Amino acid sequence: MSRFFLIFCMLSAVLSLGAGSQTSEGRQARKQRANQQQGLPKAVMEEPSGPVMEVPPVDRSTRSTVRQAASGIDSLLATAWKEKGVEPSPSLTDEQFVRRVYLEIAGRIPSYDETLAFLDSKAGNKGAERRAELIDSLLESPDYVSHFYNFWADILRLTERAQKTLPFEPYLYYVKDSIRTNKPYDEWVHEMLTADGRLWENPAVGFQLRDFGMPLPYVDNTVRVLLGTQIGCAQCHDHPFDHWTQKQFYELAAMTSGTKMRPGPQPGQGKPKPGQKRAFQGMRDPDAFAVRRLLQEVKRETDRNGVVQLVLANATNVKFADRPLELPHDYQYDDAKPLEVVSPKVLWGEVPKESASADGRSQFAAWVVSHDNRQFARTIANRMWRKLMGVGLVEPVDDFREDNPPSNPALLEHLTDLMLQFDFDLREFVRVIVSTDAYQRRAVVHDPTSETPFQFTGPALRRMTAEQLWDSILTLVARNPWTVQRPTTEQIAEIVSLDIKQADAQTAVQKFDDYMARFGPGRYQRSLHTVCGYRGQLLLRASEMPAPLPLGHFLRQFGQSDRETIEGARQVATIPQILAMFNGPITHSMLERGSVLYDNVTEGPPKEAIDVVFLSVLSHRPSAEDRGYALQEIMTADDRATGCGNVIWALLNTREFIFIQ
Amino acid sequence: MELIDRRAWMGGVARAALGVTVLDRLALGQAQAAAASAKAGSDVNIIYLMMRGAMSHIDTFDPKPGRDEQGETKTIQTKTPGVLFGEHLPKLAGLSDRLAVIRSMTTETGAHEQGTYLMRTSYPQLNSIRHPSLGSWTLHVKGKRSRDLPGYVLVGNGNEHPGCGFLDPAVTPVPVASPELGLENTVRPRYLSEANFDRRLALADRIDRDFKRLHGGAEIEAYNQMYKDAVRLLGSVDLAAFDIEQEPEKVRERYGDFTLGQGCLLARRLVESGVRCVEIEMGQWDMHRDIFDELPEAAGRLDTALSALLGDLEERGLLASTLVVLGTEFGRSPRVNENAGRDHHPAVFSCLLAGAGIKGGVVHGASDERGHSPEKDPVSVADFNTTIAAACGLPTDKEFMAPNGRPFKIGGGGKPIGAVLA
Repeated sequence: MSRFFLIFCMLSAVLSLGAGSQTSEGRQARKQRANQQQGLPKAVMEEPSGPVMEVPPVDRSTRSTVRQAASGIDSLLATAWKEKGVEPSPSLTDEQFVRRVYLEIAGRIPSYDETLAFLDSKAGNKGAERRAELIDSLLESPDYVSHFYNFWADILRLTERAQKTLPFEPYLYYVKDSIRTNKPYDEWVHEMLTADGRLWENPAVGFQLRDFGMPLPYVDNTVRVLLGTQIGCAQCHDHPFDHWTQKQFYELAAMTSGTKMRPGPQPGQGKPKPGQKRAFQGMRDPDAFAVRRLLQEVKRETDRNGVVQLVLANATNVKFADRPLELPHDYQYDDAKPLEVVSPKVLWGEVPKESASADGRSQFAAWVVSHDNRQFARTIANRMWRKLMGVGLVEPVDDFREDNPPSNPALLEHLTDLMLQFDFDLREFVRVIVSTDAYQRRAVVHDPTSETPFQFTGPALRRMTAEQLWDSILTLVARNPWTVQRPTTEQIAEIVSLDIKQADAQTAVQKFDDYMARFGPGRYQRSLHTVCGYRGQLLLRASEMPAPLPLGHFLRQFGQSDRETIEGARQVATIPQILAMFNGPITHSMLERGSVLYDNVTEGPPKEAIDVVFLSVLSHRPSAEDRGYALQEIMTADDRATGCGNVIWALLNTREFIFIQ
Repeated sequence: MELIDRRAWMGGVARAALGVTVLDRLALGQAQAAAASAKAGSDVNIIYLMMRGAMSHIDTFDPKPGRDEQGETKTIQTKTPGVLFGEHLPKLAGLSDRLAVIRSMTTETGAHEQGTYLMRTSYPQLNSIRHPSLGSWTLHVKGKRSRDLPGYVLVGNGNEHPGCGFLDPAVTPVPVASPELGLENTVRPRYLSEANFDRRLALADRIDRDFKRLHGGAEIEAYNQMYKDAVRLLGSVDLAAFDIEQEPEKVRERYGDFTLGQGCLLARRLVESGVRCVEIEMGQWDMHRDIFDELPEAAGRLDTALSALLGDLEERGLLASTLVVLGTEFGRSPRVNENAGRDHHPAVFSCLLAGAGIKGGVVHGASDERGHSPEKDPVSVADFNTTIAAACGLPTDKEFMAPNGRPFKIGGGGKPIGAVLA
């Protein structure tokens, strides 16, 4: 095939994109904006100059422990298969394995080079060592951090503006960094449940601030996410189909109800006072007084609401002091009276002895993460199992109930033991599960409405998540999808932090101006577009993108969460997704000169082009039959380049591409 | 009893050629097919305005003047003698003779996700099954009106929508993120001829055959269906229905420059062009804090958008064939909380119906003097949805068997409210 032609036609193809018949001016204007940046941004076409981030290495010496743990899981599964009379799914080929393990650990398909490197590697000769080495190297890559950040962002509802007045970026960065350092999960959770301070001083407070002013929903959400138990109904009445009572809910809530988000009376707490509107009224509280003074000064100086918001953000400072909680005024059961003060009490088990005399919130946190509280370990074990195998042993993962038993109780308890044994080392846990024989089998179709429970004869067949799909496409395009990373805690602190007691109105105004210049609405995004913008899209890892993204963004089209509901992401088919794959700018970015795929296809010998395309998009060489189809397409197209473009487009639009086999 | 066997539907190629409606009739069986086709002649459309976050009943359609519970919201007289609305709904007050107001809606769940799911499907959310939304049921029974355009469009976030539930993926709503942008990426690049596009699709199918042979299942089948629908849509002249910028500036202004308003305008265009069901979401209602500061904007938007929609539909002679629904997942507490907001209140709330099959100028049911519980004619979510189904001429008593062998009724087996049906 003529290489010149290929380049020429692909380029011209891309240049003429989107030039169809648009009818109205507004659309035209938007299209023009999207067309302004022609060609791929330079920064994403060049390999990163240094390491993207430091990730602690995986300990190769524990490989035999991992193997042992994996075979423990496998033998439990084998027993279950035998009992149920089911056959395991066939083992994965190397091609299938490399694709799956990249998608599930690194959150993207392997690049052409990475696929070849694995398929052609002879290191250690034995398949198992090659696979183990790939698993280990992926677990210590920035891609792992990125992918698991997306996983947690969906669970923790990570958004940059959980409250209108508060920049949440420090918390988002903190989550990402906790994954990077592989902080033990129990430690991480304990840190978040007990954190004090302002967001940019101690970003772990973000977990408590996510439900700012809603102390009861906070308890509901926290128990749901961390303990896999839904007690939310009991906020208003005894749970209709579980044993939780409204009183129990309030007793638990009483442990954390002394959490103060800002000085003075708290939102969501305290008695209504006629005419009273907001906080900072506490006359004897010096912090509240300082806030009030500064707010008054600011209001005299300027009518810009943003400055007020900045002061309020600085006034948001999590602290804890025990405070009694009353039952609601319309409490209807016989075991207590309306407005009666409840005594703090955990839902089951006991507060660990060493924390028994600590304050309510510390007792709560100690109880949640305690090794004796198996439900904590069980919940995260089930969650990680579902993440990798596609279906939880209990489904949904946040609805453990007596009448919703695990499909394989022995396995769930075994995984719980493993989680405890590993001291909540989540990365090690992932390492074990992907090392199992069951994981390394071909995906199995799972019907969630089926009466028979899933037997894990292989992982459940799933569509890629929105982020996996986005980052996979990016792999075909960008040599550096990391040109920008989310702002760090320090970057935000420097710009936002104000000493309320010392500051005057001018300082506040100055701070606000600085903040707007760097992170103001539109400003931050524009600055990103200058680095990695392409036709209105940011060619950036999904984890580093602003959050939440607008509803029309490719990631949202493919079901990324709005970050308002816990685990709000979906993998449901819609027409706009298909249209985006057909005609969207992101599909066509890979046909641009300088994209990874473009260069790999055009730089190699033309007769290898078909192999390159298949290996790049589907991570395997074409079968003889498929090679025939592709070749025929290229030979019979108007010109060869068009034919080659057609093959790439066709592979992207297969079910094989978007489902994880 | 109709058996819905999705596997039997996964015929593949033949289906795309036959089109959905025809197969729908095949699946229904001969006798029912006759009934369905007779009803299809009546051609009812649904435009559903979903107020996400729970709309306060006391501040909108069920005020309690003179009570503490009323808070800061004043009331206004509507065109219907003796019926008051909240002060932020002046335009709808002037259209009250077109509206059936239901003031005795009642439900048990005070959680947004579960409440919205119940409103949309008539059934409580379960782990083991996904129920179809009312729009999907409507399409299932009545079929699409347009060959190329989708039968069901959702303006808003598709993630939390139950969609087609256990019905065929063909009746799933098409989500539109923003009414201004309409359906994006519908323009085929100029360099790509239709013939070439078809080659691409044929090639994709060929290369995908091994994968499809190994893996069936509803998820993959749904994607197969979406590909077919997307292809049919591309290049259709009817696509202009999605472009609200073709409307005169004056009309766009009348609907209001915000998502609900422009979404209602889009809905009118779509219904006019043959889309049967449109749902438009509006957020903004979850007012736990400072409700009286937030109401004027939210309620004002609803007032502008819904009144413009009703007026426009009427002018174009579409109101008689279009059922307009205003729904929300539950109400808000009569007691104003310490943050000057109102909390979740499932015990009683208000919804509206207007247009096709509905009697205007009616207030059905009542809440007690505090706005706390229903006092007269309580209406469950199933009753409400059964009323919608009845107004559209859908069978409400018939049992449909889901793939898991359980029977379901459109509307959830409630009792239609005779007083609001025309």
